[in-house]
Formats: sequence, C-alpha cells, structure tokens
Amino acid sequence: MISWPLFFSQVFNGLTLGALLVLVAMGLTIVFGTLGVVNFAHGALYGLGAYAGYVAYGYTNSFVVAMAAGALCLLIVGIIIERGLIRLYYQRPAEDQILVTFGVAIILVEGMRAAFGGLARNIPAPSWAAGIVNLHVTLYPTYRIDVLAIVSASLVLLYFVLYRTRLGLIVRAGIEDQLMVNILGINVTRTFLTVFALGAMAAGFAGVINAPIVTVTPDMGADILVQSFVVVVIGGVGSFWGAVVGGLIAGEILALTAMIQPAYSQVMLFAAMALVLILRPQGLFGVEGRQ
Amino acid sequence: MTVRAARPAALARRFAPEIALIVILAILPAILPHIGGTYDIANRILDWGLFGLGFDLLFGFTGLLSFGQAAFYGAGGFVAAYFLIAPFTNNAIVALIAGTVAAAIFGVIIGYLSLRRAGIYFAMLTLAFGEMFFFLDISPLARWTGGENGVAGVPEPSLGFGLFTIDITDPGGLYWLLVVVFVVGFWVARRIVASPFGTVLRAIRENTARTAAVGHDVPKYKLTIFVIAAAYAGLAGGLLGLLQGYMPPDAFYLDTSGQLVVQTIIGGAGTLIGPLVGAAVWLYLYTLLQNIAGIGALWKMILGIIFVLLVTIFRRGLCGGAVVLWRRLRARPAPAPAVASASVKPTRAAPEPRRSTQRPPPTGPVVLATRNLTKRYGGLTAVDDVSFELREGEIRAVIGPNGAGKSTFFNMLANVIPPTSGTIEFNGDNITGLGATLVCQRGISKSFQINQIFPSLTVRDNLRIAVLARSYGKFRPSMLRAVDRDATVNAGIDAAAASVQLAERLDTPAAELAYGEKRRLEIGLALATQPQILLLDEPTAGMSPAERVDTVQLLRRIASGVTIVIVEHDMDVVFGLADRITVLFNGHKIAEDTPDAIQANPDVRAAYLGSQAAHESA
Amino acid sequence: MEGERIVAQRKKNSVSRRRVLQGAAAAAGTLPLIHVPRAFAAEESIGNWPEGAKGESVFVGVTVPLTGPYSADGHDLQKGYEIAFEHLNEGGGLVPHVPSLHGKKGVLGKKLVYKIADTQTQPNPAVQAQTTFITQDKAIMITGCLASNTAIALEKLAQRYRVLNMVGCSGANETTGVDCQKYAFRSQPSAYMAARALVPALAKAIGKNKKSIYLVPDYAYGHSVEHSTGEFTEKALGWKSLGSQVCPVGTTDYSSYLLNIANSGADVFVNVAFGNDAVASCKQAKQFGILDKMKMIVPNISAFQGQELGPEIMGGVYGTLDFWWTLAETNAMAKVFVDTFYAKYKYRPNWPAHIAYTQMMVWADAVTRAKTFDPRKVIAELEAGHKLQMPLGEVWYRKEDHQQVRAVPVVVGKTKAQMRNDEDFFQIVNLTPGPEVMPPDFLGCKMPTSA
Repeated sequence: MISWPLFFSQVFNGLTLGALLVLVAMGLTIVFGTLGVVNFAHGALYGLGAYAGYVAYGYTNSFVVAMAAGALCLLIVGIIIERGLIRLYYQRPAEDQILVTFGVAIILVEGMRAAFGGLARNIPAPSWAAGIVNLHVTLYPTYRIDVLAIVSASLVLLYFVLYRTRLGLIVRAGIEDQLMVNILGINVTRTFLTVFALGAMAAGFAGVINAPIVTVTPDMGADILVQSFVVVVIGGVGSFWGAVVGGLIAGEILALTAMIQPAYSQVMLFAAMALVLILRPQGLFGVEGRQ
Repeated sequence: MTVRAARPAALARRFAPEIALIVILAILPAILPHIGGTYDIANRILDWGLFGLGFDLLFGFTGLLSFGQAAFYGAGGFVAAYFLIAPFTNNAIVALIAGTVAAAIFGVIIGYLSLRRAGIYFAMLTLAFGEMFFFLDISPLARWTGGENGVAGVPEPSLGFGLFTIDITDPGGLYWLLVVVFVVGFWVARRIVASPFGTVLRAIRENTARTAAVGHDVPKYKLTIFVIAAAYAGLAGGLLGLLQGYMPPDAFYLDTSGQLVVQTIIGGAGTLIGPLVGAAVWLYLYTLLQNIAGIGALWKMILGIIFVLLVTIFRRGLCGGAVVLWRRLRARPAPAPAVASASVKPTRAAPEPRRSTQRPPPTGPVVLATRNLTKRYGGLTAVDDVSFELREGEIRAVIGPNGAGKSTFFNMLANVIPPTSGTIEFNGDNITGLGATLVCQRGISKSFQINQIFPSLTVRDNLRIAVLARSYGKFRPSMLRAVDRDATVNAGIDAAAASVQLAERLDTPAAELAYGEKRRLEIGLALATQPQILLLDEPTAGMSPAERVDTVQLLRRIASGVTIVIVEHDMDVVFGLADRITVLFNGHKIAEDTPDAIQANPDVRAAYLGSQAAHESA
Repeated sequence: MEGERIVAQRKKNSVSRRRVLQGAAAAAGTLPLIHVPRAFAAEESIGNWPEGAKGESVFVGVTVPLTGPYSADGHDLQKGYEIAFEHLNEGGGLVPHVPSLHGKKGVLGKKLVYKIADTQTQPNPAVQAQTTFITQDKAIMITGCLASNTAIALEKLAQRYRVLNMVGCSGANETTGVDCQKYAFRSQPSAYMAARALVPALAKAIGKNKKSIYLVPDYAYGHSVEHSTGEFTEKALGWKSLGSQVCPVGTTDYSSYLLNIANSGADVFVNVAFGNDAVASCKQAKQFGILDKMKMIVPNISAFQGQELGPEIMGGVYGTLDFWWTLAETNAMAKVFVDTFYAKYKYRPNWPAHIAYTQMMVWADAVTRAKTFDPRKVIAELEAGHKLQMPLGEVWYRKEDHQQVRAVPVVVGKTKAQMRNDEDFFQIVNLTPGPEVMPPDFLGCKMPTSA
C-alpha cells in the first residue's frame, strides 16, 4: 500500500506536524532554559489560548483577531501566573516548580471545562487559507501549508528577538550561565517575568494556530505537552535550533510510522527519545554539562 | 551495643510506628461504618499508600520527582493479573511476586534511561516514558493487557504458602491482606530510611554533587531506589487487580502518576505515611465535594487549588506539618551535649608546634603527579602544560593571581573536570578521567571554596555521609541494618568531628551552624573520607582574621597524617602552612619552591604586580 | 465468628486459613460485619436485597463522566437520569404512559434516591464509585457509563456483587456478547445491530460493489464496529475493504492516517472514531478533501457530533443513532420525553439522555411487575420478554444475551438548507425494526440460566 506519492506526502505531512510541535516546544524550551522552570502547565496554556481565540473568533469572525487575542490573552495570563505564583518559586527546588505548574494545569483545565463545557469547539480555517492545494503527489489542505509559513515567520521573529535584541542576549546568557547574569546586575526579575509571559504567549498563539486543525477541548493540551517534552529532550534544552530540529524529527517519526504501522507511531516517538538519551544525553543541540 | 534478647519494652520501642499502625488499622473496621467508609475504600487507600511508599522513598527521601510511576503500577498489575487469568498459577502470592519483579525490571530499563539526566529533566523523562507504557498497553500489547478494556475476571486471591492455602473472598479479608502487606512494606521502607543506604539517599537529595564528591556512586544509588520504588508500584498494582477482580487500563494513565504526586504532597512527602494520609484525603474529598450541590464536576478544580496552596505555603503537607508541630511541642531547652568532648579520642596526634619554613623539605615518595596537564575552553587555555609532583606528607600551596588557572588546575586534580590533554597520576596509577567519586574512593578528597554541606542534616549525619563512603565503599546497598548501630562508622564520625572541633555540635542541623563552623564542617567532610591527599580550596574564604588563625592551627594539626594541597588567597595562611609553593600565572607554572624562595622570586613578584596593575587599569 | 466470612470456594485447606484470618480479626478485637451475600436458595438474601429495600427509599448508584474526554456526553447522560428519577418519584413524564407505573409515585411505593459520581472518563473511578454505592449506600441497582470498557467493567462488578446493572452507553458487541452478565442489561444497539441496520440505507444511497476503508480507534468498540460493518457491507452489498487505519484513542491530529486514506482509492470512508476523536477526524477528513472524493459513513454517531461539526461536514453522512429527537414527530412517547426534557433543560435530549431515561423506565416497570426489588425476580421479569412501549416503539430484552430488542434509527446528516432549527442535524431515513437486526448467535454470550 506504500507508494512513492504516499511516501512523499507523508514526509511533507511530517514537516507540518513537526512545525506545530516546534511552535509549542519553543515556548517550553526557552522558559526552561532561561528560568530553569519546566512548565507543566504549558499544555493547559496552549488550550487556554485556543479558547481565547475561539471566543474572539465568535465575536469578530476574523482569524487574525483570534490569533492576536490568543497571544495577548495568554501574555496577560502569563504575567498573572508569574507574578502570583512562579515568582515565589525561583528560590525553591526545581521539583516545587514542577509541582506548582502541575497544579496550575489542573486548575486551568478544569476551569476551562467549567466555563466552556466538554463539547468540542471549532475555529474554522481562515477564508484565505480554506481549500485544498494539489501538490501533485497528494491533495493537501491549504491551511496546513499556511501553518508552515506562519510557524516559519514566528520562528524568524523569535530568532531576531533572541539574537538581535538586548532581551535575547540576556535570555541566551541566562541559558548559558544563570549565576553570571545575576552577578552582572541585570534586572532578572523583569527579565524572568518577560520570558515567562512570552512563553505563555507562544503557547497561546500555538493553540490558536492549531485550533482549525484539531478541536478545541479542555484536554487538548495533554498530549501536546508530552510530545513537546520529547521534542525538548531530543533537541536539547534551551536550544533554539534544538527545538526546531527536534520538532521536525518528531513530526517525521509520527507521520512515517503512521504510514507503516499506525499503532506504533506514539511509541516510536518515545523510542527515538530513548535512543537520543543513550547516545547523546544532553540532546542533539544541548550544551554538555547542563542538567 | 549489647545483643538484645527480645525484651518487650525494647521491641515495642523499635517497632513503635508499626505497632501504632497495626492498632489504628485494626480499630478502623469498627469505625468505618460511622465515618461513611467501606472496606473497599479502605483497601484502595491502603493500595495507594503502598504505591506511595515507594514514591516517597524516591521523591521524599532522594529528591527524585517521577511523573511516570503509573508505568510500574500498571506493569506490575497487568503481569500479576495475566499470571492469574492465563493461568500460569493459582497462587496470588506467585502472581504478585511476578508483577513486582516485572515492574522492577522495567524500573531498571526506565531508570537507566531517565537517570541519565537529573532534576527537571528527570521529571519530564519519567512522564514521557510513562506515556510510552500507556501507548504500549492500549495498542501493541492489547492481546495481553486487554487494551482499553483492561483485564477483567481476576480471581479472588488464593494465597498459597506451600503447606496450606488461604482463600480470600470478601473485602474484609482483602483488607487484612492489604494491612499485612502495607505494614510490612512500611517496615521495610522505614528500615531503608534508617539504613546506611537511606542516609546516602538523603545526602543525594540534599546535595547530589557533594555526595558524589565524597565517594558515593550516586547513579547506582539513584537507580537502586528507582527500582525499589518501581517494585513497590508493581506490588500495589498487582493488589489493585486482586482487590477489585479487575485490572483497569487507568493504571497506566498519566492521571494515575499525577494523583500519586498530589496525594503524596497533600499527605506530606518524606514521612512515609504521608501518601496514605494523602490518599485518604483525596478519596474523602472526591466523595464529599461531589455530593455538595453545585460543585459536582468542579471537585477536581477544587482539589487542584488545594494542591497549589499546599505546595506554595504548606509544603510539608499534613504529616510533615504534624511532625513539625510535635517537635515544637516537645522542644525543651537544649540539653547539654550528650557526648563530652573529652571522651572523644582524636585520631590524629596532638597539635604540632608551629611549622616553619625551616622544616626540612619533604622527601617521601611522590604520591600525586601531573604530566603536561592542559585544559582549554574553546580558544582559551586555562591551564597550559603544567607538570607537578607532590610528595607524601607535604603541604603544598598553589597560588597565583586571579585568572591564573588555579581553580581549573585544582578541579582537574580532584577529577571534577577532565583535562583536555595530559595525565594525572596517583601513587603511580593513571587516574585521569576516573571522575571525582572514584578518585575520592582512592584517597583524594576535596573541600570546596563555597560550602557544599548537607544543610538540613545534623553535623553527625553530614559526617556520617562522608564516613560511609570510606567504610562502605562507593556503593553498598545495605538497606536493612540501622545506620546508627555501626560502631566503626560512629567512631569515624566522632574522630572527624573532633579533628575539626565540632564534637559538641554533632546534633545541630548544619544550616544552623555559624559561618566558621560551616567552613570547618566543609573541611571535616573531606577529612572524614580519610583521604591520603586532601585538596583544600580556599579553606579560609570569608573568615574573620581570628577564625583564620584558628583554621591554620586546625589544618596544621590535620596535616600530620595527610598530604595537603591548598589553594589560598591569604598569603599569611599560605606562608604559615606550606612546605612548598607552586605559582601559576596565565595557566603556566612559573615557579615552584619553598616559601622563602618564592617570596624572593622576581618572576612571581612581576606576575602579581603585573596582574595588579592590569586590574587597576581595567 | 461470622465476621471474616471465609468462604471455602476452592478445594483448599480451609481449617488453617480460617484460623489465620480469624486470629488476625481476634487480635484486632473487632469483628467487622461487612460481607457479600451470595446466591443460595431463592428465599435467601442476595446482593443488597432485601437490606437495600427495607426503608422508605431505595438507592440507585449512578456513574457518569463529568470530566475527561466524554464529559459533554456525560452531562447529557446525567440529565437523563435526573429527569427520570424526578418523573418516577413524582409520577410525571412517561410514567403515566407506562401501564404498570400509571398513577404511581416512586417504585413499589419507595422513593428513588441516587448519587452521581464522576468517572473522569476512566473505568477505575467508575468501579470504585459503584463499589462504594453498593457496599456503603446499599444500592439496589447501578447504572451509567459512557464507554464500553467502563460498561464491561461495571457489568462484572454488578455480577460479583449480585446487584442489577442497567448499562448506560456502550456500543461494543462484547457488552452483550462474550462479556454478557446475568445481572446486566443493555439498551443501546450493539455495533452488530447498528451495522446491520445501516445496510439497507447504504444499498439505496451508495450502491453495491464499492471499495471501503476504515479509520478505527484501537479499542474493543472500534474493532467491534469495524468487524461488524465490514461483514455486512461485504455480505449484503459486495463491498470490499481496502484495510483499516488503526489509531490510538485520543489522537488529536489524524493527518497521517487521512493521507493514507486519501491515497487509498476507496469510494467509501467508514469513520469509526467516537466522541472528540470523531469530531477531529471528520473535520480533518473534510480539510484533506476526503469528503469530496468519498462518501463518509459513521456507523455509530456520537451524541453531539452534529452540533460539534455542523451541517457543512455532517451533511450527507450516513450512520445510526440510538435515538434522535425528531422521533417525537412520529411517536407520542418520544414526544413526551423530548418535550419534558426540553422544558427542563432548554435543549433537545441527545441519545445518552435517552438511554438513561428509558433504562430507568424499563427497570421501574420490571420491578413493579415483579412486585419486588429482588434482583433474581427482576431479572426473570426482564428476561420474560414483556413488550413495553417506549419512545422507540416496542422494546424488550432478549433472554439469551440481555440485549434490548429495539428499533435502530438510521439517519443522514442534513445540509444547512434542510435544517429547520439549530438542533435539526439529522433526518431519520429508516427506523429498522429490532428483530431484523439482532445477532442470531448472541455474539458469544453464554448466559447462565439462574441468577
């Protein structure tokens, strides 16, 4: 049943699947790298972003507004969570940070369920991206191709922020050596707030981008959180290129295994992670020595 | 330490927690109907409690937060259930053992992979591997696990003891089975906590790097406790299938791992009994909240809020809080130190008279040598081609202006960082790349510039950790003997405490020591491993002048039995102690001689002055 | 020494075991008296009878998913139960239309009391909650679930405790097939029945000798539906299956599977996914152009699928439903049910609510006619095949597998233009009579003769 056209379609599909994972994992890895906080609520924030987009879309019927709303709303939520909770945790053991974000995730998911019910909600693909493109090897939804463009544009923007701005310099320095950044007298408090809020914003944005593809439900973030962990482990913590490459690898694994042996596609993802751990524990692009 | 005949009072004291547990669990059935409980609920709580015992050893005592315990709970449960329905056996005991062993084997595999990374990485990895087991369960292994349906029809437990068999056919009987298993499990866990093995686990939680540096094989200890936790989970999983005649696929769900974490935090991590209490609270609130009108589906959110509040402001949980309260209520004016310092025999000889530069140069055999040792960081060469020899009994100081490469050199000696090229030899053996743990086991111990002690443990336990590394080797899973009953270790602790003048502070938590005392404890930790070579990294850093004088005397006393390399900024200390001095500058060794000769050396002068000038102009 | 009832079931050394456990109990100084009575003679107590039926009221244990993936369906199911108990206790709704219940309040004069517990869409919490309801609240009957795995687990629990179980939502063949239980009765059509009911409509709408491909969630229900649908479309219509895409339950992005399907060259796409999985996969199938190339069949349509996907996707899709509210236009009983439900909850009931409601009515009728809550007699009454008028017409249970014989509504999705109101998603094309679709071989069920 596997033909060359199908193979090429799946390779392409792996690319778009991967692109979405890159977007979700990026927020996770930057926050992780800079703040040393692994945000177990990242998946819940992703879901919340999708709901914010859903509400905004309901009022305006504009996908662009929905994207902006998802991002902005989560920026604010990120600020609230950081100021209200996470800030109390920088001096505490990493395990406590995990626990508190895990608790926040429960509250957010059940809060979404209380507010919106368990029914699946939809944001339709924007009118400019509706329809199907003939890729010669296969027909492919226009929106998924546009997602590639949207993700690429966001990554270019993020790359610019990380590598061309003062904030990016601090973030990258923080990933390299947190103590040093503190010693240099940089206003860490504000940087941490900014980074955490931007991480939440990235999650929310990814939620809206994904909404036309998947369905919006309170539990939508659970699987993607685990998958982005895998991406971060494969790519290496705090690494921009690690997230990009790790995400694309994960996407290809999911797509190509699904072509051959669908029931194993998730399992293969974890097998790949195990392989990376054995051969290169710090991840493909990870810095050696950093835990 | 007399051999005790089973004196009732002593036995009662020894098993007090277990006896208390048995009494409470024995009265419970009489109370249950009045508090709206059933055997079934009690059984589930005990099962969660058993599951949690392993997790608490892993998280509460070793500091390893796993979000993947469901993998072992499920694996143990399904293997046990499969053994009974296949049926490979009719004996529930055999099935439970099979499940436990299977979980432990999976524990070895997942532990080996997950423990390659620590801290938050570890939490992510265990979560991901836990999910992997879930996906394996529902699809590829569905033939054996029933996939989403789970395994129904697990027979009521029939416990075969060879000569006779016990059939358990009602929840009441199951309750007693679970009570027995839980109390035994609790006893084993408590023994582990109080054993030398348990001491090392707590050391890992408090300060992993230092535990490794005093010579414990940390990865092995971590893997062992991970496997033990997996085995507890597997046993609890097997019992879950037995207690409801049905092994549910939920055992593998992420929610199961999450619920275990939440219950443990609510009950109190690091208390062993916490997970049981947490499970009771969870199940009670689950039932209670749902029956309050208007809450219904919100029960989980409310539990989430309670959890976040607990983590934020009451991290000890219910049992941890109770313990603190109990200690506070019992707190009386601190009694006089139990151990009179006079009774402690110092291992080393009495203080020597002040060493002077007139002391004859050491002539013993070379014990430590480096050959062309080099360390490069990218384009920067921190240590460049340094060869160096240290003779037995010598006190050697390594000095040099800031950025000379002293610390890098020092860390390479202790095998904390690997050299780019060159070798290190100890007693003629090449020890390059062995790592700090093995090097410490061989007899090179390092004290750190920034205190690396175990803050919430007492001075005694701090020293015990180091002494254990010497007397038990890098890894010895001695889990069932009481650590405080080992006379050799106790003697080692007393000796180390005496030599750093902390004999009267043995029962004080390290965090409560004065700064100078902490510094001495830092040295004491290195000393307690009874090294042949002691590496001291700025031992007097941050001390007042008076404390420095004391420390110099202390070091001189210590030095009578041990070879010392010291990095120090304070020149009074250096020249007061050292037999010979090695000077590093820009990564090169520029001089090596007696203190007098070094003082007169023009190159050294130039190096210091030059760097001083450079600093001022910067 | 009755406290630790140690029943010698197996041929083992009972003396030593008795001594050991009694020793433990005696040492504890307490002799707890909670035990599970078993069937001996007809007059003897069984399960929670007669203990659970002694007071002014009887207790019914209800478990529904209020959190987790099926929470939307769970809330519908919950409302069905709530309104059913209200009607039974007050004599409203369908109660006056059921001959045995006419003019009565409560069941056998006793008020129905119930508690609802959240299963979190998982079997284990359901088993846990129902065990508590049975052992602590002395439930005389248990009901409710929203997945076949939970249904089967609860059936076995009911059997173990000898408490009647009126199964909630479950479509897998096993529920009344290989896993059937004496104490459990299911009203929802099995996958087999749904597939068989679908065939005539498919013959008319799609035709014979087509190539089909399946998207199958990897669990008992999914494989049941695939197997049954494949069997009937092959036998009756000459369709050829090109294979199936088996995917894990809870998949959110089906693109890889859908690409395989899109490139398979099939004429018909049979989508077996259920709940949120169905919504996501249908939506993505549309995006991949599959719905333009192929006809989509959803053998068992989820409760809110019309609402969640809208007529753009569901228009023209064939499938079956346990119940659809437009039956109210042709059936007086259905009208009473839909109208009273709408009056209370402001929307028209979906099929989970229908299952909950009618299962409670059927049970109340059987108890009333048996004149006792004794589960053995209620089972006998249900097995007797007494025909009862319900919103689907006449329904009764088969003795051999405890599957309800009932009509199966075959529906087709309406287009936007065809919809008369915002809940008018489906048109009933056929109400296939129950006896025509029942599995003749009972799907592996071996029902014991005595309870």
